[in-house]
Formats: sequence, structure tokens, C-alpha cells
Amino acid sequence: MTAETVELVSKAVTNAISGLSGMTGKQFRVFSFDLKKVKVKEVPYEFGGPEALIVGVYLKIKDKNGHIFVGYKPEVAAELVGMALGQEPNSTLDLSELEQSVLGEIGNLVGSFFLNTLAEGIGMSLLPSPPAVIIDMAGAVLDTPLSHILEHEEETLILTTNFGTQDKQINGKFLIAPMPALEQR
Amino acid sequence: MDTQGQNNREIIIGMGELAVSSQPSAVLTCLGVGSCVALCAFDPVTKIGGIAHVVLPHGDNANGSSPSKYANFAVPALLTEITRHGGEKSRLVIKVVGGAQMSTAFGFDGTFKIGERNVQEILSSLEREGISVFAMDTGGTKGRTVRMYLDTGKVIVQSVGINPKEL
Repeated sequence: MTAETVELVSKAVTNAISGLSGMTGKQFRVFSFDLKKVKVKEVPYEFGGPEALIVGVYLKIKDKNGHIFVGYKPEVAAELVGMALGQEPNSTLDLSELEQSVLGEIGNLVGSFFLNTLAEGIGMSLLPSPPAVIIDMAGAVLDTPLSHILEHEEETLILTTNFGTQDKQINGKFLIAPMPALEQR
Repeated sequence: MDTQGQNNREIIIGMGELAVSSQPSAVLTCLGVGSCVALCAFDPVTKIGGIAHVVLPHGDNANGSSPSKYANFAVPALLTEITRHGGEKSRLVIKVVGGAQMSTAFGFDGTFKIGERNVQEILSSLEREGISVFAMDTGGTKGRTVRMYLDTGKVIVQSVGINPKEL
């Protein structure tokens, strides 16, 4: 992974998170950022282990073998929804249809901003699918994107970031894969 | 219904991996299976059992480090490995678990149908081998953790929010 790749992904994440500011009317920014390559089989362990309950938002990149997946612990997802809606987070960990829809919209917005920056950087069109919000064991939630990635690649990129407002920070894990054009920069 | 005792040895089988054991204390486990499929085989006479954690329906080449990556290679690989350990193909009790469609969201053009295709390919491969399936727990929209206890051959399936069940 080249320094240029890390820089481009960093810029894409910063733009993606700042996109949340427009949606919520609050100033969102990235506090920390770590990008690394991980064997596809090991990815569920990056999200707390194969049996850990997570909330995943999955977007497939249309007409490319590209995937973006954002995973949160359920309490973190509830916190994010609360920040977006300007209300106290749901403490039951049982996300309603509305809350899942909000997460999907956040995923859509973040994914679109992220891909737009990447697309500019690598000079190709990258369009996301609508978001799928899935709540289950990490292994199960990740199975479908990881299966498709394993068709072509044995490794993928995992981005860990802390983002949020001045008052509250959120930890999110992003799976970004695989983007040969990004790798070959 | 958890039959795992203190002396049991859990063997975790990751995506595309395969494990066979003749140790009665062994518990063969696939954690958080979604669209993947746990193909379980057990010889009740020798108590030799194995699980293949299948990821994709069909490939052109077997993958050395991931013998169970493709269903069409996983089935013969599992049978060969069980036979090599002393199991008998004609006695095998076969159970198939997994193949969920984790989302029904619009706009994915069959992306989430991969589980269904995995199950179909496994059943076709078993049929080609002349082996019938004893029990199945496939499809749906929930992930599953699968454990096979080699002292009894019991297969226990657990999903989030649902009591474990024996297959």
C-alpha cells in the first residue's frame, strides 16, 4: 500500500465524515484514522469476532467488484442515530425501522462522499448500490461481501476511525475492498 | 442444549477451511455462518467427523490454503479427508447448515443469493457422490453458529435471539 493510497483514503474519509455535517447540522470531523491490509478470513475478528453482534451497513460498488461495509457495535450505532436525529440514543439495542433507515441513509451519504473522492483520485466512476442494513453476528453479516471479495482477492483494506462532534466520538470500522485501481496507483 | 464439557477441545473452522477429527473430545465449530455453508459429515461407527466451511458455489481450481472455498471442491475434499482418517463414506450422516440470505434489500442484483447457490451446489455435489442428506437447516435471514460434538455426532445450531437446536 503506497503513501498516495493512504493519503487518498484519508481524504475520502475526511470528506465522507464532513458530509454528515450537512445532514445533521452539527460539525462532524475525523479524530483518528488507521488503514491496514487484512486477510479476508480474519476480517470478522476486526469487528469483534465472528459471533459478536454488530450493525452493518453494506454498499456494493455498481459494475465493479468493489464493496464498502461499515460496522458498529449496536450501542455505537444507536449513539450515531441519536446524534443524527438530535435525541438521546436508544438504550434497548433493538433498533427500530426508522433507526435502521437513518443508519442506511448515513451509510449512503458517507459511502457516496467517500466514493466520489476515490473516483476523482483514480479517475474512474464509482457508484454505490442502495445501502443494506444488517444486524446479526459479525461473521454472518460479513459473509456475503467477504465471499464476493474472496472470489478475486485474499486480502482487503480495513479502516478504523474515530469520528464525531466535539462532544461525542464514534468508533467505526470500514471494510473497503477490493479496488485494484486504487492499489495500482 | 450445549453439550460442551470442560474437557472438550473446540476446533474453529474459518472461511474456506476444512477440519476432520477422530478425537471424541473434539468440537468442530463454524462461528457466525451467514451465506456460507457448514457441511457436516459424521461416521457413527468410527466417530470420525468433519466440517467444510464452504464460501462460494463453484470454482475452476481448488484453492490450496482454502480447500473448502468452493462447494464443488469442498465436497470431495471432505469425503477424501474423512476416508483417510478411517471413516466410511457409505455410513456418513450428512447435515447441511447455513446458506442464509442476510439481506433482502433492493438493488443488489442477486448479491445476497449466494447462500442459496452454495446450498444448491453442495446438494448437487453430494448427489454426484451418491450420498444423501440426513438433515438440513438452510436459508432464512439469520446467521448461525454450528457445533458438531464428535463424542455423539450431535450438531447444534445457534442463532441470535433463538434457542439452540439440535439438528
